[in-house]
Amino acid sequence: MRRSLKLAAAVLSGSLGIASLAACGAKSTDNTTSAGAGGGSGLKVGMAYDIGGRGDQSFNDSAARGLDQAKSELGATINEAEAKSGESEGDKEQRLKSLVTGGFNPVIAVGFIYQDAVNKVAKDNPNVKFAIIDSFSPEQPKNVTSLTFSEEQGSYLAGVAAANKSKTKHVGFIGGVQSELIKKFEAGYVAGAKSVDSNIAVEVTYLSTPPDNTGFADPGKGKQAAQGQLDKGADVIYSAAGSSGSGAIEAVATAPGNKWAIGVDSDQANLPALSKYKDHILTSMVKNVNTAVFSYVKSTKDGTDQGGVKNFDLKDGGVSLAVTGGFIDDIKAKLDAATQQITGGATKVPTTPPQG
Amino acid sequence: MTTAVAKPKPKSPAAPAKKKSKLTWPVVLLLIAGALVLFAAVGAITGNHGLTSSGQIGAALSSAVPIAMAGLGGLWAERAGVVNIGLEGMMVAGTFCGAWAGFLVNPWVGLLAGMAGGALGGLLHALITVTFGVDHIVSGVGINLLVPGICAYVNRIYYKDYVADGAGANQSPPADSLPTFTVPGLSGWLGDIEQHHWFLVSDVAGILRGLTTELSVVTLIAGAFLVASYFVLWRTVFGLRLRSCGENPTAAESLGVNVYKYKYLAVISSGAFAGLGGAYLSLVAAHFYRDGQTQGRGFIGLAAMIFGNWMPGGLAAGAGLFGFTDSLQLRDADSVHVLLLVVAIAMALLALWQFYRRKFTAGAISIVVAGGVALWYATTDAVQRPLIVATPYVITLVVLALAAQRLRMPKADGQIYRKGQAK
Repeated sequence: MRRSLKLAAAVLSGSLGIASLAACGAKSTDNTTSAGAGGGSGLKVGMAYDIGGRGDQSFNDSAARGLDQAKSELGATINEAEAKSGESEGDKEQRLKSLVTGGFNPVIAVGFIYQDAVNKVAKDNPNVKFAIIDSFSPEQPKNVTSLTFSEEQGSYLAGVAAANKSKTKHVGFIGGVQSELIKKFEAGYVAGAKSVDSNIAVEVTYLSTPPDNTGFADPGKGKQAAQGQLDKGADVIYSAAGSSGSGAIEAVATAPGNKWAIGVDSDQANLPALSKYKDHILTSMVKNVNTAVFSYVKSTKDGTDQGGVKNFDLKDGGVSLAVTGGFIDDIKAKLDAATQQITGGATKVPTTPPQG
Repeated sequence: MTTAVAKPKPKSPAAPAKKKSKLTWPVVLLLIAGALVLFAAVGAITGNHGLTSSGQIGAALSSAVPIAMAGLGGLWAERAGVVNIGLEGMMVAGTFCGAWAGFLVNPWVGLLAGMAGGALGGLLHALITVTFGVDHIVSGVGINLLVPGICAYVNRIYYKDYVADGAGANQSPPADSLPTFTVPGLSGWLGDIEQHHWFLVSDVAGILRGLTTELSVVTLIAGAFLVASYFVLWRTVFGLRLRSCGENPTAAESLGVNVYKYKYLAVISSGAFAGLGGAYLSLVAAHFYRDGQTQGRGFIGLAAMIFGNWMPGGLAAGAGLFGFTDSLQLRDADSVHVLLLVVAIAMALLALWQFYRRKFTAGAISIVVAGGVALWYATTDAVQRPLIVATPYVITLVVLALAAQRLRMPKADGQIYRKGQAK
């Protein structure tokens, strides 16, 4: 009896170990390779997503659309991998390395969290081209291209829209992680709102601070932060918080009275998971990551890629406001005027918030 | 709530010879009243009534529910002598199964499925620790690694065909909402009183309103489970036997208690409670499952249970404390600055008490801390953002450190028990 029990224990714990290894393996590498319509043009594109991955209804999904476009139009073979909450720097490097050893070139890293890992892996693999979205560092090797966006310009427009729609003259901003990137959103939004009414009150909440990046993946926290701002009197809330933003949108949509949410990265009113709340989504500050990804892949295919920084701003259509629902049609003239001022250079949008 | 612990614990000074001071009901009520006065006073001094606003209390309650359920899971397992560090994994099972059944059927079934999912995790833990006699920590860590992996994997495969419903690679499609409950006839006039900012009266009104308005039904269910757990574990024969397995299983065995059976039941219920906490996250806090949604709440629940001295009332207080600070920093960063003043005053009161009890070293330390915090409050306008985000963890750590001297865990907790091992 005793011995059989022990044997069973050993077998069980062994199989547990294997199962968990398999599960971890499935999670950390999770590579899904698929060839494009053209049956493989020899172009192999690897993409490493930020936390949230394909299906985050926001930033990563937008990158995924660009990748899908490259697959269908350029016949690229694609491979995707994704970051998970609380992983180490080594995990990120490993993910990039496995894409490189899989023969993928270019390799696109989605999100600033990859900057250090990209620097390191790109240095060891000078013949592979890398792109990193949303980040730039002076130390990055020549084979790395930074794809950046003028989020502050799009957020400025969001601020203008919010200030025009706010009845209480009180608007809110929710950032996922208080990083340099998200501060750009805040800075633009605050500047845009103040440009309409210099006395407008702006609430600012961040869900976490780096290096804790969990603020992008906790809808419960987004909801509470939004409720806090609503209780203080804000009636338009802009959340730049990845999938935590869906919690904020829910809080705004279910609050009594006519409150507005502003989405981010993708046109969130058009996403199936948020369609229930689309009547309360004023607009979304769309970051056309897909265009950037596609044009980068195309440039590597054509051999025109230069490295360095490629910035996409309001003028190039890198950022824009979504018009789904038609809720901002009545203030279109004001938004167009603001757009004109930015693209014409009359308005310089700040990239850092007024203080801390 | 900070002060409920930081404040002096009024042992009767006349009877120091008594073997152990216990927190009796009058003492607890006195502490709560003291804390209320302190909050009200600070609100009046600073003009910031955020700490006792009904919105804040409601948010604190909703943050506290998943932590309290994880803690209750820990309580059941550890009272039967099994350390359950796998609560986090069981919560993840609850989030996944809850969202799954919530999407396919309805959120009520989702709650049951969440509990069932957690209970399955509990069953696995019981099988490994009770039947096979493996170290409890090893099994728990294994479950914490295994369950999130399985859920992430299944999510990826299963929801592939539901993208049009809003599913993603690491997110389930949204489920419907559960109803909320408001005590009729209270909310309106309590809200009016709260608006006036009368000293103490408005604060009490704010807290009451927060506790009676727009409660999720799951909050009510969780509260009922906490109370029921107390009665089942401390007022029934079943509970006595279960606890005897955690205190002295060989003695229990010699009196004819089937220790294995009780441990199994306790650990399975433990998983079910953790699963309910998880289902709350995926059906009430959000309407979908996503990878990494629990964010360590299982471990915090465990800490809340230890803080609560392995008692339901204590763990509810611990969960409330954490929920309060967590929601405070999210909702209203200015109030965290006000909280500094509360802490300073509470520490000063504690110091006075310690001097009165002739504990001069402890008193001196408290007064220095109080002075430091007061200085911090006076010289700054706002707390730095990274510190604000860390508040819940810092407060929990401090409170745990302060409370640790009074704790007693079940005697045979974490020990491996084999049938017939007694000599």
